[in-house]
Amino acid sequence: MIRYLFLTCLMLCISCSTVFAATLNIQEVTSSKGIHAWLIEDKTVPVISMQFLFKDAGARNDPDKYQGLARLLSNTMDEGAGNLSSTEFQKELSQNSISLSFSAGRDDFGGSVKTLTKYKDKAFSFLQLALTAPRFDADAVKRMIDANQSRIRDDMSDPEWMAGRIENDVIFKGHAYAQNAGGTLSSLAKITPAVLKEKWKCDLTRDRLMVAVVGDITKDELIRKLDQIFAELPAAAPVTKQSMIDLNQPKKTILYRHDIPQTIVSIIGQGLSQKNPDYFAAEVMNYIFGGGGFGSRLTDVIREKRGLTYGIYTQFGEMDYAQMFHINTSAQNQNIENLIAEIGHEIDRIKVKSVSEQELKNAKSYLIGSTILQLSSTDRIASMILSFQKWGLPKNYLDIREKEISRVTIEDIQRVAQKYLDMNHFTYIMVGNPKNIRPDLEYKTLPNVE
Amino acid sequence: MILRAFLCLLLCLCGLSISASAAEKIYNAETFTLKNGMQVVLIPNHRAPIITHMVWYKVGAADEPQGDGVSGEAHFLEHLMFKGSHRVPPGQFSKIIRSIGGEDNAFTSWDYTAYFQSISKSSLPIVMALEADRMINMAPPTKEIEPEHLVIMEERNQTIDNDPRSLFWEQLRATLYNTSPYGIPIIGWKNEMKHISWDLAKNYYQRWYAPNNTILVVSGDATISEMKELAQKYYGFLPSRKIPDHVRPPVPTFTSKQKLFFKDKSVQQPLWVEVRLAPSMAQEYKTGLALSLLEEILSGDSSTLLYQEFVVKRKQAVEISFSYDGNNRGQGSLWVYALPATGVSLTDLEKSINEYLQNIVKNGLPAYEIERAKTRIVDTALFARDSVAGPAMVIGQGLASGLTLDQIENYPDAISKVSADDLKTALATYLDVTTPHWITGYMEQGK
Repeated sequence: MIRYLFLTCLMLCISCSTVFAATLNIQEVTSSKGIHAWLIEDKTVPVISMQFLFKDAGARNDPDKYQGLARLLSNTMDEGAGNLSSTEFQKELSQNSISLSFSAGRDDFGGSVKTLTKYKDKAFSFLQLALTAPRFDADAVKRMIDANQSRIRDDMSDPEWMAGRIENDVIFKGHAYAQNAGGTLSSLAKITPAVLKEKWKCDLTRDRLMVAVVGDITKDELIRKLDQIFAELPAAAPVTKQSMIDLNQPKKTILYRHDIPQTIVSIIGQGLSQKNPDYFAAEVMNYIFGGGGFGSRLTDVIREKRGLTYGIYTQFGEMDYAQMFHINTSAQNQNIENLIAEIGHEIDRIKVKSVSEQELKNAKSYLIGSTILQLSSTDRIASMILSFQKWGLPKNYLDIREKEISRVTIEDIQRVAQKYLDMNHFTYIMVGNPKNIRPDLEYKTLPNVE
Repeated sequence: MILRAFLCLLLCLCGLSISASAAEKIYNAETFTLKNGMQVVLIPNHRAPIITHMVWYKVGAADEPQGDGVSGEAHFLEHLMFKGSHRVPPGQFSKIIRSIGGEDNAFTSWDYTAYFQSISKSSLPIVMALEADRMINMAPPTKEIEPEHLVIMEERNQTIDNDPRSLFWEQLRATLYNTSPYGIPIIGWKNEMKHISWDLAKNYYQRWYAPNNTILVVSGDATISEMKELAQKYYGFLPSRKIPDHVRPPVPTFTSKQKLFFKDKSVQQPLWVEVRLAPSMAQEYKTGLALSLLEEILSGDSSTLLYQEFVVKRKQAVEISFSYDGNNRGQGSLWVYALPATGVSLTDLEKSINEYLQNIVKNGLPAYEIERAKTRIVDTALFARDSVAGPAMVIGQGLASGLTLDQIENYPDAISKVSADDLKTALATYLDVTTPHWITGYMEQGK
C-alpha cells in the first residue's frame, strides 16, 4: 500500500510541476557625475551588496617581470588608506562587520563590499578611501608578497594546480594569458609600492567601471553614493588590445610526471562566444554530454557504469581573447588510456546519433529552471547582473536565454557537437604517471612558478 | 587582504561552522515533530520562490561497527542512496531532480549524513516523495555496486592520496582521536575500504535510517501550515524503529607528549600545528561558548590578536589561526596552526607561539578585544538570513550534533553573556600548551 502511494504521488507531481522563470527587476541608475550602475532594490534582509569591476584592468596587463601585479594590487588596496594604517583600516572593517575586498581576474579588476544597512555610510566611505587613497605602505606590501609566495609554495604540492600552470603555458603560448596571474616566486619579490601605485593610478578609471548593487538601498541614495565612491577616479585609460587565441590546433599531449596514484587530465578545445548564435545550442549540448554532472553522458558511462573516476565535467568558458571548451577529470594511472578512449567513444556517439527527445527536454528544463536558484542572496544576484554588464548582455537576458534555449532542436545539438567536439583538435594536459600514454612533449619543471 | 579559509575547510566536511550562524533569534525557524518521531524545521525566506530541502540523518561514519577491519561504509551508503530503490531506478534520482530544474547532492560526516536538493517551490512534493522513498526502499542492483565501489576508491585517491597535505591532516587527526571513531577518515582507510560491501552498508542502513533518527530542514519560500500538511503526507507514515545508542568513547588521557613529523618531497611550504581535545558544544554548552568566543578573539579576522602579533608585528608567520571545532556529538578539538615566514624554523615559531599563549593563560585577554569579538559575532548573525541554503546547513548541523534549536537561534545572545571569568576558566583548563594533551605536528619537505 505504502509503495503504491509513493509511486502515484511521484508521477502526479512530475507531470504537473511547472518550471519557474527567473525574473529580475533591474533599474539602471546614473549619478550626476555620470557613474552608471545596475540596481535591484530588495529589502528582504538589512544587507547591501555592491560589486564592481574595471574592465581590461586585470592580470593580462601585468608586465612579464611583474607577473602577479594585478593580484597583488587587489591584496594591498585594502591594506591601509588615507590616514588609516593597514591595522587600523582592517580594524574599522572588522568593527563594523564590513566585507570589503578586491580581486583580479585575467581580464578585469574587481571589487565588492557587503554591509549591514546600519553600517552602509561607513562601508561606502571605506570603499571610497581604498579606491582613491590606498597607501601601499612598504610593510603591508611586503606582508602580502610573503602571503602570496607562501600560497604558491603551498599549491606546489597540489596536482590540479600543477596542471593549471602547464595548461596556461601550452594553450596560451606567446600570449599575455600564458603568465601566472597569481605571480611567480621571483616576480612577486620584484614588485614595489611604486609599481603598485602606478598600476592603481593608470588602470582603475571611470570609463572602465561597471557597478551592480543589490539589497536594502534606494535609487536616490545609491545615486549620491556612486558619486561619493567613484567620481574622484581618473576619467579614462587606453586599452591594450591583444590577439584572439586560436585553440583549434592539431592534437597534442603534454605530460608533467608526478608520483601520485592518479593522473589529472585537462582537455582543451576551441569554444564559442556567448554572442555566437550557436551558444545556446552549445550550452544544451554540453549539458547532455558532460556539463550536468549526474545525468550527463560522460558521468553516466565513465563514473556510474565503469567506476573509472570520481568526477568528470565539461564546460564552455569565455575570456576576452579566448573561448574554450574544457573536459576535466582524474583517474588511476593505469586507467587513463581507457578513459580517453571512452571519452572519444562518447564524442563519436553524440556526433553521429541524435540525442533523444527526453534528453533534450530534461536538459532544457534544467538549464531554464535552475537559473532561479541563483537568486538566493544579495551577493549572488549582484554577481549575476555584473556579469551581464561585463558581457554586454541586456537587462532582460534571462528572458532571452529562456526563449533561445527552448528553441534548441536535436539537429542543432548534433551540429554544434560536430563543430566543437573533435578529439583530433584537442590539447591534452596530464599530471601524474599515466600508463601507455605517449606525450608529444614532457615538461620537466613547472612554468611560471619559480 | 587574503582570505584564510584553509583550516576551516579541513576541520569540517561542509565548511560551515556554528559560528557562521546569527542574532537575538537569528533565523526565526519553526519546528514540529511528526508522530513517527521525525523532527521538521522550517526557516521561512520569501525572497524568491525557491527552497532548500535537507534530510539530516543523525548518524555518520563514527557509528560504523568498530574493530571489523572495514571503514567507510557510511559514506559508501550515501553514494548507494542514488543507486536505485524499489520504486526509483538506479541513477534516476538526480536525473529527476535536474529535469525539474533542481540541484541535489549529499555529504557524510562523523555524526551525520545529509541529503539535499535546491528546487523551485512547486517541486517540494516531488523531492519529499523521493527522499521518503529512499529512507525505506533502498535496493541498489548488484551491477551498480561494484562500479560505485571503484568510484569511492577514486574519490579517496583524488581528495586525499594525491596530495601530501591531506595525508598529513588525516594522520594528525588519527593521532588526536586515537581510540575514538572520530580518528578514522570518513571515506575510510585505503586498506579497509577494499572490504566494504553492500551487506555492510545495508546493515548500517537498516539500523540507523528511520524517521525518528531524522531531521527534515526546509529553508525558503514555504509556510508552516504548508509544511505541516506536506511533511505529514510524505513522511508521516514512515515506520519508526528503535535506534541504538551513539557510542563516542572518550579518548584516554596519555601522559606521553606526542609529536608527528611528516615529510614529503613535494612539500614546499612547511606547516606547524598543535591540537588537543576539548568538549564539544553539545557536551558542555557553556565551555563551548567560551571556546567559540576565544576563537573569535584570537583569530576572527586579520585585525585580531594572533594575526596582528605574528604576521604583522613579529613577522614570524605568514598565516596563523586558532580554531575550535565543537560541532560534534562526542569530543571536539582545539587547533593552533601557522605557516612560518621564510627563514623561520618550525621550532622557533612553536616556541614563540607557545610563549604567547602561556602569557594569555597567565594574564588573560584585553577586555576591549573581548567586547569587539562579541559585537562581531552578533553582527555577523544578521547576515545569516541573506542566504537560503546557509541557514539550513547551520541548523541541520547543530541539531544533528545534539544542540537544541533554541541554542542555535540564541547563539549570539549566549555569546554576549560569556563572562570574563568563563573565559579565564576556559583558558586555564584548555590553553596550557605545555601539557601532553597538546599534540604537535610538523610538515616539511623531505624524503
